[in-house]
Amino acid sequence: MEGDGSTTDASQLGMPGEYMTGSHYVLQSQDDDGDESLHDHEEGNGSKENFREQDIYLPIANVARIMKNAVPQTGKIAKDAKECVQECVSEFISFITSEASERCHQEKRKTINGEDILFAMSTLGFDMYVEPLKLYLQKFREAMKGEKGIGGISVTEGLGEELTDDSFANQLPAGIITADGQQQNVMVYTTSYQQIPGVQQIQFS
Amino acid sequence: MHVKMSGDNVNHASNSKGISLPMTRVKMIMKSSPDVSSINQEALLITTKATELFVQYLALSSFNNGSGKDNKTLLYSDLANTVEGTETFQFLTDILPKKIFARDYLKLIEEHPIEEADN
Repeated sequence: MEGDGSTTDASQLGMPGEYMTGSHYVLQSQDDDGDESLHDHEEGNGSKENFREQDIYLPIANVARIMKNAVPQTGKIAKDAKECVQECVSEFISFITSEASERCHQEKRKTINGEDILFAMSTLGFDMYVEPLKLYLQKFREAMKGEKGIGGISVTEGLGEELTDDSFANQLPAGIITADGQQQNVMVYTTSYQQIPGVQQIQFS
Repeated sequence: MHVKMSGDNVNHASNSKGISLPMTRVKMIMKSSPDVSSINQEALLITTKATELFVQYLALSSFNNGSGKDNKTLLYSDLANTVEGTETFQFLTDILPKKIFARDYLKLIEEHPIEEADN
């Protein structure tokens, strides 16, 4: 697992592979502290027969943090275990994605959507995630709607939605037309200095 | 604080939406699968969140499945054993071979001699 690129070591030792019935082994170095903190497999893992695209990993610090929070507080995690989970994660993502992608293609669509992912999870034995993920997605959608009014993203995106006629109805003072006679999207001040919700950070376009 | 990157306002979501994994990296991994053209924002979000859940699940199951000698540390071997024993994790068997020290392997060979092929 140290990126030594070896296949099952029976072949390296000149031993026939039949000995290893059922499971296969990889040689572990004597000094298996897993010292390297960088986990770049740029040369590509030679330990599988097929070419693997999973040379991209999530940062080990993030992975390790999640692991640490998952186990009891007094628990520790061996370095090679962290690296291993890091690889497993990439495998997991690819696993789900190819299943979702297949379904997508079957339905003649080009973009993988949330449903495809949820379907893939349920097919691949992760159906226990489906409900929590749906809930999570729902909360996210609601939160995103809320944020649009606060200016968390550029309001020019939300402009079409936010500036309904109602927003202006009772609060638009007579003097909104600017000096050169053109009506522009300038900051609107009411006489009571109440900012109109959703119209706080309008930019000149 | 909220840096808006063009076409990628999902990034600020990863801080404020309770996800601790970088979504752009997740997207990279997803795109490295063959035949994947595009992924919508929700799909990316769900996958990232699911990945978090997966890490938690794998770590905790393996930890509880501990070797017993030092059951306060999660070891590589715990992971390998858990993967072997759990159907849902079977897709990981190829990347999680059991490790064995060379000296132990040679001992095993000695104890169970088999006919050798040509050297």
